[in-house]
Amino acid sequence: MAVPWSRCWRSGAGAAVLLDWCCGFSRRAFTHAASAGRRTDSSAAATQVLFRQGPVYNFNRPTTITRRRNRCLYTTPPVCCSICSDAKLKDPFSLAQKDLQNLYEEIKKLLVSKAELKVLCDYYFDGKGKAFRPMIVILMARACNVHSNKEGVLLPAQRSIAMISEMIHTASLVHDDVIDDSDTRRGKNTINKVWGERKAILAGDFILSAASMALARIGNNTVVSVLSQVIEDLVRGEFMQLGSKENENERFKHYLEKTFKKTASLIANSCKAVSILVNSDPEVHEIAYQYGRNVGIAFQLVDDILDFTSCANLLGKPSAADLKLGLATGPVLFACQQFPELHAMIMRRFSSDGDVDRAWQYVLKSDGVEQTNYLAQHYCQEAIRQISRLRPSTERDALIQLTELVLRRDK
Amino acid sequence: MAWRSRFSYIGRRHLSIFANPSPSNWTKVVSDAEKIVGYPTSFMSLLSDELSNVAMHVKKLVGTKHPLLNTASNSDLICDSMVIYPSQRNLAEITELIHTAFLVHRGIVNLKEWMNSDGPLKNMQFGNKMAVLSGDFLLANACTGLAQLNDSKVVELISSAIGDVMQGIYHESSTSAEEGSLTVASWEDQTFLPHGALLAKSCQAAMKLARHDTEAQNWAFQYGKHLALGHKLNSDLQLFVKSGSEPAVFSLDSAPVVFHRQIVGPERWRHQLKQVQNMARQIDYTKLWGLIKMERGVSQGLDLCSYHSNKALEAMKCFPPSEARSALENMAYALTKF
Repeated sequence: MAVPWSRCWRSGAGAAVLLDWCCGFSRRAFTHAASAGRRTDSSAAATQVLFRQGPVYNFNRPTTITRRRNRCLYTTPPVCCSICSDAKLKDPFSLAQKDLQNLYEEIKKLLVSKAELKVLCDYYFDGKGKAFRPMIVILMARACNVHSNKEGVLLPAQRSIAMISEMIHTASLVHDDVIDDSDTRRGKNTINKVWGERKAILAGDFILSAASMALARIGNNTVVSVLSQVIEDLVRGEFMQLGSKENENERFKHYLEKTFKKTASLIANSCKAVSILVNSDPEVHEIAYQYGRNVGIAFQLVDDILDFTSCANLLGKPSAADLKLGLATGPVLFACQQFPELHAMIMRRFSSDGDVDRAWQYVLKSDGVEQTNYLAQHYCQEAIRQISRLRPSTERDALIQLTELVLRRDK
Repeated sequence: MAWRSRFSYIGRRHLSIFANPSPSNWTKVVSDAEKIVGYPTSFMSLLSDELSNVAMHVKKLVGTKHPLLNTASNSDLICDSMVIYPSQRNLAEITELIHTAFLVHRGIVNLKEWMNSDGPLKNMQFGNKMAVLSGDFLLANACTGLAQLNDSKVVELISSAIGDVMQGIYHESSTSAEEGSLTVASWEDQTFLPHGALLAKSCQAAMKLARHDTEAQNWAFQYGKHLALGHKLNSDLQLFVKSGSEPAVFSLDSAPVVFHRQIVGPERWRHQLKQVQNMARQIDYTKLWGLIKMERGVSQGLDLCSYHSNKALEAMKCFPPSEARSALENMAYALTKF
């Protein structure tokens, strides 16, 4: 029986395959299989996923999967299970609370300017943001510190990274609002609406330069390289958003790559940076990076879902915003499977009259949201799998619990 | 690509697309300087990195009797590439990237001020979008380029220069024509940020990359600062000094106008503005130009330009004589020519 490609991954083993494909792991699986001169069942299944053929993959037959994939993505690792149900588990926010407390004040101290420019720069550092990125960075730093046989106390340089990541994020938000001509953010008027586009861009540049200075002051060239890459990724991600792909399969890959560049790269590389500061083992850097990457992508996927399902006032910014910008996100791309009418709309970026409304209807009628949710779950599971390789600590467990928060958020 | 530096060395030419046509003198000294460094299109740039590597190793032969040393000292190829390190060349390109990025971001339009005569709003919006993205792209490349220099002090220095430039442009656009007058000192402070900081700090950074001491770094900074300020003055003064040129329009923030305002005082300035404005509050620039030429604003600007030219020359005296030093001195001299 032919199963549509978008569904085959919802079963356990299929999910492993899709996730590998999404996470780029399949590239390694392919090369491994290719070099071994055989076509594993998993690579065959991945091919089907990519090229939408009916599945040959027998979900019941045991497969020759690599040791890596054996660390179950679809059966909850026992470690995770017991911890998730542990009532004594500290909420990630409260765990990072002390370190986060003065973060915004300290960021504002780095923004040395006067008069109106100061007002603009401080505008979004009012403590009303989610502080999601700094929180991850801080928890990751402490988890790595414990793993490296140091105490779970934050190094000053790691704290700097948390601040720098928030500053880079904010600078990119300010620029995005100009590019998207947005009116509101976090419940207040955007900088470009209040002070004009020109000043908004200059303020964003200024925040970026302050972040860059703080980064340099840490004095670690590797860390500087790692985080400079983020800045480039952010811009490339934005450029990617300008273009669209004809081919459906390319579209999804394009969407995930763009999501990585625009959202996950910052989190992944910040996590990597704090691990570099305390540990020289590249495996640890990779764990930190992969955790950040997977959580980052999941975060964005949920964000894209919320754009369809949430009310405007809860988010602090208007919904169906992505459609109105001509962007086809996860839910739309999945919905396109059930409603091919969306094809043409995607290609013309929902520019015709009534496109936005019709597309929204299609998405809500389809299981696009549900599918995107499943995908986000699998990214989270991968993140958990990665972070579980670190030595146990309250911070590590908080990072595991954080993935749950990412999935459950409503704003 | 347009942003690739046409030359890279310790002093720099400002690539200002809003500047008046440079005097032939300036163009000549710049072109002479370019010859010392080499065009990117010459084959030297293709090999320059490799040659520089070779050159650095050949240096170790100094004091030995190896014949390669003779060849090297007679050969333009290796000699020239001994003068500039690859990292310094990269720094120069990075500086150009930043400069271009700020030019691009400076051109962003405030949509609230859009009028029908500007054309369709959609075009302005799209133009803004492209300006933001291109500027960001250039800045991002500058950041990754800086990271590759593997010198965090230099990264800090140049990042602070980016901040200075952005601050400078921000405040430039904030001051309106009719506000209180600026003193010469405050004009310098205000002009340094958008027009001087980048050059001054990249000159300093170039010294740092070659591991020169803080004194050399400071002199390089001073040269860059005074050359940049002098160049801005020279640029602003062109309109008022060159014979036979009556401007269609000029900036009320340009040096001669600012000094003029300070000399005549706020009341008389307001009166003069009214004199040259029509019913629709549009300024007749030719009339205003005439009024300004009658006072001492222009000569004060000329004096200040000489001052900065001399300060730049002073800074260069601290470096040993060389072709490069002469080229830089010639650029400083050229500032006082119109």
